[in-house]
Amino acid sequence: MNRNVSAALVLILILCSSSLSQTGTKKKRPLPYDYGRVVINNYSEQADLAPVVFQHWIHRARFTCRVCHVDIGFAMKAGGTGIKAVDNSRGYYCGTCHNGKAPTDGKVVFEACSKPVNTAEAKRCDRCHSLGRKVQSDYDFFAFSQPLPKERFGNGIDWEKSEELGLIKPVALLDGVSKRNAFSAQKDFALNPKVEGMPDIIFSHKKHTVWNGCELCHPDIFMGVKKGTSHYTMVDISEGKSCGACHTTVAFPLTDCQRCHSKPVQP
Amino acid sequence: MFKPVMVVVVLSTGLAGLGGIPAHGEPIPQTAKPASQLEAWHREFDDICSRTEDAMTYTPTELEALIRRCDALRPKLEKLDETRRKVYLERLRMCRGLYAYVLESKRNENK
Repeated sequence: MNRNVSAALVLILILCSSSLSQTGTKKKRPLPYDYGRVVINNYSEQADLAPVVFQHWIHRARFTCRVCHVDIGFAMKAGGTGIKAVDNSRGYYCGTCHNGKAPTDGKVVFEACSKPVNTAEAKRCDRCHSLGRKVQSDYDFFAFSQPLPKERFGNGIDWEKSEELGLIKPVALLDGVSKRNAFSAQKDFALNPKVEGMPDIIFSHKKHTVWNGCELCHPDIFMGVKKGTSHYTMVDISEGKSCGACHTTVAFPLTDCQRCHSKPVQP
Repeated sequence: MFKPVMVVVVLSTGLAGLGGIPAHGEPIPQTAKPASQLEAWHREFDDICSRTEDAMTYTPTELEALIRRCDALRPKLEKLDETRRKVYLERLRMCRGLYAYVLESKRNENK
């Protein structure tokens, strides 16, 4: 009897461990202030500095995606740009704005990697090179997000509504960096989901073009040239492909189904 | 009590401050050079890549011409210092990619 019980327990343990190893670990949902956080560590640790922690929320309130990811040239994947201190000090990448000259909120934005720093100035490095350090930011997420319309997921802010209400006004052009002609508006369109009964996706091409421009999405993220010929599965999207390039990382996450599947189902 | 000179100084400082801090949504003044002072490669880059928003309005012939200009510019960008090479080659790759994408899409439409 005891032998049977022991054998059953061993079997259960084996089954449990094999099922756990197959399903993997559940992704931990980031806290609202950490949603969209990017850690950049191409060269930091080699230079005896902590990796850089970049907070999307404070930057996206001020700039459209395009300004940073097209005009300045930041890659869409963490570490993909290979930013060096010298790039910043020459006035590119972070140094485009973090140059000790550009005005923000009535003061001057701090310089990034501007020149060799002494011990007294080292605190300036910590403002970005902050992973694992207790660094006091100029901006508090909760104070910042408090007046903005709320959303259930991501970092809990309805960015689209915030912009509609004029609570945030992201800059779409940087003098001396952005060059573009008048904008040709794109039409919104509907996409049919594969699952019956699932509401259609209303894709706002217009909004996405205003925020991203054209070349941020085409052809790197969406390469299909004929409408309806490319098929995107939720699995692909959750792995960061197509819509998932932004909607798993910075823009509202996939758990917010109704934000995309928004067309009422006809009975 | 208030001298006219002081009033003028205070007013002009205030106005300069208002002009100097842009409202959200407006271009942020950087150390922008006028187009005439930019190097030839930079003017060419700006001219080619400032048209991406209009890509859909171009004919296949116009798009092909833009792609050729991108290809002609690339060797010039490769000679820049490391930082500018990295920034502008990536930006050129994106804008060329878009023109090629739109061109293919237009060719598909005509099939």
